[in-house]
Amino acid sequence: MSVQDQIKGFGITFRTMLQKPLTLGYPEVKTPVFPRFRGRHQLWRYDNGLEKCVGCSLCVAACPADCIRVVAEENTQEHRVSAGERYARIYEINMSRCIFCGYCEVACPFDAITLEHSYELSERERDLMVYTKDMLLTPAPKQPPLRTEGQRV
Amino acid sequence: MADYAPVDLAADNLVTFELNGRTVSAPAGTMLVDAAYAAGVEIPIFCYEPRLGPPIGACRMCLVEIEGMRGLQTACSTPVTEDMVVRTNSPMAKDAQDGVLEMLLAQHPLDCPVCDKGGECPLQDRTFKFGPGKSRFIEPKRHFPKPIELSSRIALDRERCISCFRCVRFSQDVAQDGQLTMQERGARSEITTFTGDAYEARFSGNITDICPVGALTSIPYRFVARPWDITNTPSVCGSCPVGCNTELTTRDGELKRITGRDTPNVAVEEGWLCDKGRWGYDIAMSPNRLSAPVVREAVGDRTVSIEDGVAAAASLLTGRRVGILLGGAVTLEEAGIALDLATNGTLDNAVVARLGVASGNCAPVRAATGAQLGDIDAADLVVIVGGDPAAQQPIVELRVRKARRFGARVIGCGARPHALESLGDFTRTAPGHLADGMMGLADAISNAARPVVLWDEADLASDPGAIAALTALLAASPHATQLMLGADVNGVGLSALGVSTTGLFEAIAADEVDAVICVHADPLEAAGSIAWQAVFDGFRGPVIAIATYASAMTERADLVLPALTMWEQEGTLVSMTHRAQRLRPGAAGPAQAAAGWELLIAIAHHLGHPPAYRTAASAFTHTVASHPAFFGMTTDLIGTDGVVIGAWPADDVSPAAIVADPDHLVLVATRDTFGDDMTARSHALRTAVSAPVLRMHPATAQALWLNEHDHAVLISDVGSSSALPVLCDARVAEGLIVGPLGAPGSPIEGALSRNQHQAIVRVERT
Ligand code: SF4
Ligand code: SF4
Ligand code: SF4
Ligand code: SF4
Ligand code: FES
Repeated sequence: MSVQDQIKGFGITFRTMLQKPLTLGYPEVKTPVFPRFRGRHQLWRYDNGLEKCVGCSLCVAACPADCIRVVAEENTQEHRVSAGERYARIYEINMSRCIFCGYCEVACPFDAITLEHSYELSERERDLMVYTKDMLLTPAPKQPPLRTEGQRV
Repeated sequence: MADYAPVDLAADNLVTFELNGRTVSAPAGTMLVDAAYAAGVEIPIFCYEPRLGPPIGACRMCLVEIEGMRGLQTACSTPVTEDMVVRTNSPMAKDAQDGVLEMLLAQHPLDCPVCDKGGECPLQDRTFKFGPGKSRFIEPKRHFPKPIELSSRIALDRERCISCFRCVRFSQDVAQDGQLTMQERGARSEITTFTGDAYEARFSGNITDICPVGALTSIPYRFVARPWDITNTPSVCGSCPVGCNTELTTRDGELKRITGRDTPNVAVEEGWLCDKGRWGYDIAMSPNRLSAPVVREAVGDRTVSIEDGVAAAASLLTGRRVGILLGGAVTLEEAGIALDLATNGTLDNAVVARLGVASGNCAPVRAATGAQLGDIDAADLVVIVGGDPAAQQPIVELRVRKARRFGARVIGCGARPHALESLGDFTRTAPGHLADGMMGLADAISNAARPVVLWDEADLASDPGAIAALTALLAASPHATQLMLGADVNGVGLSALGVSTTGLFEAIAADEVDAVICVHADPLEAAGSIAWQAVFDGFRGPVIAIATYASAMTERADLVLPALTMWEQEGTLVSMTHRAQRLRPGAAGPAQAAAGWELLIAIAHHLGHPPAYRTAASAFTHTVASHPAFFGMTTDLIGTDGVVIGAWPADDVSPAAIVADPDHLVLVATRDTFGDDMTARSHALRTAVSAPVLRMHPATAQALWLNEHDHAVLISDVGSSSALPVLCDARVAEGLIVGPLGAPGSPIEGALSRNQHQAIVRVERT
């Protein structure tokens, strides 16, 4: 190794020292993602709080990784969960198998499921990678208290 | 469902015509849709369903262009003729297909995601394949309140109905229950019953199979799974001796649905199922299902694991003389293993017997040319001798009605009135005097070209005169074929294996056995229950019950090993028409239960005699190899459609003759498929259950000082029945009482003798 080579090598070192660093202080600082980035799924609700998903299993049929499981049930007058006749009693995605292709989103006739921007999908146990409906579902909106007849606010 | 009828391209009346520029042939008279399908051209259809009878051309989906005919023709109702020139893909035909689909969809909701038919829906499939691809319809569609209950088992979504009339034709023409009809017209048309009441009929479920859209769906299967969530397994129904071919739908290891097969077995059920076969499977989840072995000890019952249960069974059997009692629905494999253990030194010289009707004396009738249910279609004369097929072998009813529709004459005689009697001339005979009724049938049979005689196994077995008369009738007519209306699910299979109905009872009574294994058999709830109870009361040895449901025997047994049901296990059953067919599992069953064959093999291992077979398939091979009726049979040969077994030497004993005389009343037991214990425990069938009653002629009731609804007990010389309400029915012969066999709590079994469905009784009011 000649002196020339050493100068060449340290040259790179010194040049880089003067540049702005590329690394970010994750997790305080996060890399921004592209608008159409496909990350963790979210199940949506209508404005009135009813779930959009009707448990039709079309996402299951579309999923190439076979990682979604849907078990449907019928809405009743007393227990209305979704806007359709049926709703997903069980909705699970096995995140360790998902390839984030977004086919589920494309297949859904109700825009009930979308792939969002969150990519922090790590768990300490494999079983915990099966995300259940309560983990995927948007929290119910806070309804303004309704005034019942004759009530004063 | 198989929408197109099979076409026989080897027939001798072929005509040749042009189809889309190709020259093809089909037998004259074949409908164009079928002929085209056989030639590989699919003409879309909705209302056409060959099993429903002649086409009605209601939906116009099948329009095709035929040269020389003005406008377009419906291919489903146009028979092929020589030199016809047909175009199914011309611009005019395509335009018509687009138009019809667009019109059907104009009033059809966008329900596919919430519709149970979605994924297996002919409307979806054909719209995809033949439709316009785009809707121009933006106006509001018609709306009805969403699903209404057509019955407690069928949901009707009127918005989805395309008015194809298939369900109406099934109800009116096939089942002939006369209930369904189309009300109103145009966009307001809707399916309903004439009366507006629920559609309660024994074959109602078939309309959910044939509806080409999601208008009629099964309530127990509502929103349970989608077609890509499930696996379908071809199997057979073991609820009655007919052995209809079914398809089991499984999701997550559980049985979720039973339907007819996509390709119906024309020789057996033709794709139709009775509601019991379709919906009765929920009893496998009923509370009295046995799910873990129970060891009964002086200190109390102990639940153990299945391994410990089998070990306990082996230790109870060690060094004891064993008797094995097989139930009427035990599979060939289970029976074969039991026989093998009895002869190969595992259970030294065990006595093996079965519960069920003894009918060895019917061998001469059985020896005449046998018919399959499918052969009834082509008959010109259907003769029903004894029995009550509509109640005991339900699907036979549809076949006889079909033959009648095709112009066959239906005649017969018998002691019991039944639903098929309205189709023709029937004579009422006194029990034991069937031969009298048969005299009047002789001329008709010998004049007919293709007569089929249906005869009831239990009725003939206790009527030796009838056997002789029927044998003579069949011998006199060279064209006549016979078909047995069997009593036990696998009765034919078990007697072909040489399992007798006698031997064990006598052996227990004579103290010749010290341990008994009951395999799917409950003698305490079978005919002769009082006599069985008496021998078991005096029996000191251990009793092992291999059973699926709790019953009197599982309460009495010292060890209960839970077994799998017919929907959960492999096996072979032989139907009443001698057809060997395979059961295939469609559900996993409880974790601590195992198939009967598996338990028997495991017990043999524990006894230190590992048998030569380990699986149901190898047990089958081993069994068939040693029984002449099954020589050469393999599971491959049975395939999905079944195969008719060979003859076997009749060595079975026969029950005593029951002859009516004016001084005595005769009890004839009828196993109403919808009145038995199994139906009573099914949630889905809760509205289909028929209540147990004693049916008798009003004059008989009057002579006994009984009014309708009074309760009465029957007393015979072997025992007595429990009290049952009286129902007066003027169609029942005088001096005859028709009682419910197999009803919950087995009320009449006590008054019957073992292996017999008739008895001389006296009646007492309670
Ligand atoms: S993103 Fe793709 S792999 Fe993941 S759940 Fe959806 S369809 Fe399946
Ligand atoms: S997310 Fe969409 S596609 Fe999946 S079950 Fe729900 S409604 Fe159907
Ligand atoms: S009947 Fe067929 S086309 Fe109509 S909503 Fe149901 S699945 Fe869709
Ligand atoms: S309910 Fe179904 S089978 Fe009946 S007419 Fe309507 S579409 Fe046809
Ligand atoms: S299939 Fe021909 S008119 Fe319906």
